[in-house]
Amino acid sequence: MPLPKPFARNGSHARPQAGRRPALAGIALLAAAACTPTVKVATDEPITINLNVNIKHEILVRVDRELDSLFSSGSGLF
Amino acid sequence: MNTLRTVLIMVLLASLPSLVSAAELDQAKRDGLLGERADGYIGLVVPGAPADVVALAADVNQRRQAEYERIARENGIERAEVEALAGRKAVERTAPGGWIFTNGGWRRK
Repeated sequence: MPLPKPFARNGSHARPQAGRRPALAGIALLAAAACTPTVKVATDEPITINLNVNIKHEILVRVDRELDSLFSSGSGLF
Repeated sequence: MNTLRTVLIMVLLASLPSLVSAAELDQAKRDGLLGERADGYIGLVVPGAPADVVALAADVNQRRQAEYERIARENGIERAEVEALAGRKAVERTAPGGWIFTNGGWRRK
């Protein structure tokens, strides 16, 4: 049975797909980082937190409510 | 008291056109002439609809666009986003048997 490549030196039998896994994990991490709030911590600067995701949700809720009242307002638009 | 009455009458008169077009819109939808589109606007289901139905659709769409623009501006988002949200809502709220334009075609709900 041919050795799977790459063959790790620590004795574990790395499967052929293992080479892609760290890359996939890296991409997934990047994607997750793009979506989640970012917390930057430094000794002198204040902590900054990106709340884009939360703010957007609030806006969606508000717009949804405004649309609801537009639909029901008897304005003849719907 | 006189001013109040005048104001009330004017408000009533001002609301009549929208009440009329609401009834016309419902009727046109029930007749299968007009339907809700996923892009947030009213569409003509079939060609050859009467001129007043075509005009009604154009009028309603124009007023809707103004409302979407207002909502978008007030919330700091793109009008296209409001249109998509409204379109989804309009399609959801279409009564069974009504026509909706989704995924590139008209279908009956």
